[in-house]
Amino acid sequence: MQFIVYKAPTTSSIADTPHNRQMAAAARPLVSVQPLPGSLNDMATDHVTTVALPDVMKASIRPDIVNFVHSNISKNSRQPYAVSKKAGHQTSAESWGTGRAVSRIPRVSGGGTHRAGQGAFGNMCRGGRMFAPTKTWRRWHRKVNVNQKRYAVVSAIAASSIPSLVMARGHRVESVPEMPLVISDSAESIEKTSTAIKVLKEIGAYPDAEKAKDSQAIRPGKGKMRNRRYISRKGPLIVYGTEGAKLVKAFRNIPGVEVANVERLNLLKLAPGGHLGRFVIWTKSAIEKLDSIYGSFEKCSEKKKGYVLPRSKMVNADLARIINSDEVQSVVKPIKKEIKRASLKKNPLKNLNVMLKLNPYAKTARRMALLAEAERVKSKKEKLDKKRKPVSKWLLLYALVLRMEAVNVNGFLCVLRMSEQFDFSGIDDWQNNLEELAAAKAAGKAWYKTMISDSDYTEFDNFTKWLGVSQ
Amino acid sequence: MTCFLRWDPSWHLPCPSIHEELPGNCLTGPGKRPARLHGCSNCSGMGEEVMVAVPESVLKKQKREEEWELAKKQELAATKKKNAENRKLIFNRAKQYAKEYEEQGKQLVQLKREARLKGGFYVDPEAKLLFIIRIRGINAMHPKTRSILQLLRLRQIFNGVFLKVNKATVNMLHRVEPYVTFGYPNLKSVRELIYKRGFGKLTQQRIPLTDNSIIEQGLGKHGIICVEDLIHEIITVGPHFKEANNFLWPFQLKAPLGGLKKKRNHYVEGGDAGNRENYINELIRRMN
Repeated sequence: MQFIVYKAPTTSSIADTPHNRQMAAAARPLVSVQPLPGSLNDMATDHVTTVALPDVMKASIRPDIVNFVHSNISKNSRQPYAVSKKAGHQTSAESWGTGRAVSRIPRVSGGGTHRAGQGAFGNMCRGGRMFAPTKTWRRWHRKVNVNQKRYAVVSAIAASSIPSLVMARGHRVESVPEMPLVISDSAESIEKTSTAIKVLKEIGAYPDAEKAKDSQAIRPGKGKMRNRRYISRKGPLIVYGTEGAKLVKAFRNIPGVEVANVERLNLLKLAPGGHLGRFVIWTKSAIEKLDSIYGSFEKCSEKKKGYVLPRSKMVNADLARIINSDEVQSVVKPIKKEIKRASLKKNPLKNLNVMLKLNPYAKTARRMALLAEAERVKSKKEKLDKKRKPVSKWLLLYALVLRMEAVNVNGFLCVLRMSEQFDFSGIDDWQNNLEELAAAKAAGKAWYKTMISDSDYTEFDNFTKWLGVSQ
Repeated sequence: MTCFLRWDPSWHLPCPSIHEELPGNCLTGPGKRPARLHGCSNCSGMGEEVMVAVPESVLKKQKREEEWELAKKQELAATKKKNAENRKLIFNRAKQYAKEYEEQGKQLVQLKREARLKGGFYVDPEAKLLFIIRIRGINAMHPKTRSILQLLRLRQIFNGVFLKVNKATVNMLHRVEPYVTFGYPNLKSVRELIYKRGFGKLTQQRIPLTDNSIIEQGLGKHGIICVEDLIHEIITVGPHFKEANNFLWPFQLKAPLGGLKKKRNHYVEGGDAGNRENYINELIRRMN
């Protein structure tokens, strides 16, 4: 695929206003005019001439508008259809009413034939009128705003100059040298179809025409019997500039190829099916006329009163370029890579680390509290230990024995002396303890004796029997 | 807008021997245009070195990023230093408050003992701080009492708030007595409530008090920068009690373990509503 380029504008800063852009585009891209084969000799001697790209080709491409306008405009060539207004009513049917064991639908009067008594009039009846019989006064045509129609045409022309859109529409433009394809005016005087085909081959448009020829087929469906028998693809559209050019007759018989005068461009031809990107072949005079027909973004058109090419919503639609441009990046804030998310709340009264985060003094406070507690425990223990003397197990045994009054003191001591296990150290201490013990025991016994008589229970007659003591 | 730039074979030619001068502006785009073609040895005095063409906008971006990184690093260092200083301050304040509370406690005991010694009684000063808990639900309420409860920020059952005691608040409480129970919280209650169930109000949001920075953000301008400061402000109803209390979102307590006695009656009748003075602390233990 070889596309020859033209020089692009020199400035690419996004700080272009449309006005600036106009100024810049005064040095507009140039389209070279394809010379035709040698038999048309006036071109052969000349150099390759160029034409400035008309402003129409830079209009915004709006497939939505084109689709809308196309779908409305294509309704305008419709012929009305309707059923006969008498259909289904050419009977004098009347309902039999109730009481005859039949449904209440109007039935055909009379007799002697199958038709008698059959249902009539209803859409559900055989031979009845259809539901909502179609009428000729259905609104067949659609009105579209002039400006919208012009927008659509302008969009379609712009799309026709973009090779990717044209290829996407299905045209075979691989061997076309340049888009938009402009051929010299000598083509307008072609008279023979054979020359026309040769010209197409020269400029690389023949594969598209071939494609159209190969695709001729019989339409599937009922359209076959409704005078729409054959279908085929669309080929190139030749647009010429001068009125009454002979090329119309030469090119019109080639299958797929259509011809149009620049002053009367049809959206239905420029965007067939509502799809942008028809392959258009312009003649030099046609493309030169485009500027005067459609004007530019600033200048009004000469042919269409007060019409100016539509302005796009975004002059520079390359978002990536805008975002990455210096003008935007210089005022942008740095990216926040680390996002802090909420973490689970932990209870500081249970979790020491979380407590320390909130209150660093908590550590020393807790330490001091623990130490103080340990201190307290220790000092209490010491105090109690000082008060209580330690009692050996032999002493306890002796106390038990004393109670039982089985053995006297000395006897017990003899027994103990004889056994080797006894430890004699601290025996004096022992003696004192013994006395203390005896004193305590005696005091207890004495109290026990007076316990009953001192109490108040003896006052009550109920208790005297089993207490056994009276006051 | 239609793109009218098309592939140009000259963009892929090797660099010309003559140093091409392009207008300065056209280096603002990445990739679409050829950058300044530098690679020829005869134009730069750097010998055989082949320099890679870098668009000017990329260079500017790199410089900007470096500046940002530097600023970020400096900011980080500054905040770190400030945090360290703050930490010391917080430690000292907490220590001071701990001493203060201990002293208060001891003083109270001493006064009581003194009074007992003389045969009289020590009367506690009237409480300055109240903790109110809403104990009834939202249905079937007189609209005026409903508005008062809304003013007190008690919109849900078992919500709790602190409250300063003055004529205005006391009168409000009187109107809503059957729906709330209240009393005088002690230090342990206040501490536990704020540590366990403390949430702060920052930009109308309920943010958990997981860090002192949150408190600083909310109350820094009143000199309250940590949890201990906040607790101190609440319990000794300080000069910025209103702001501190409002910063605290109403406490959402759990239903009391062991239950309430009888919501419908006043506390003095054996129920739960109304002023229960110091016994509120026991209830808070069960609800926290």
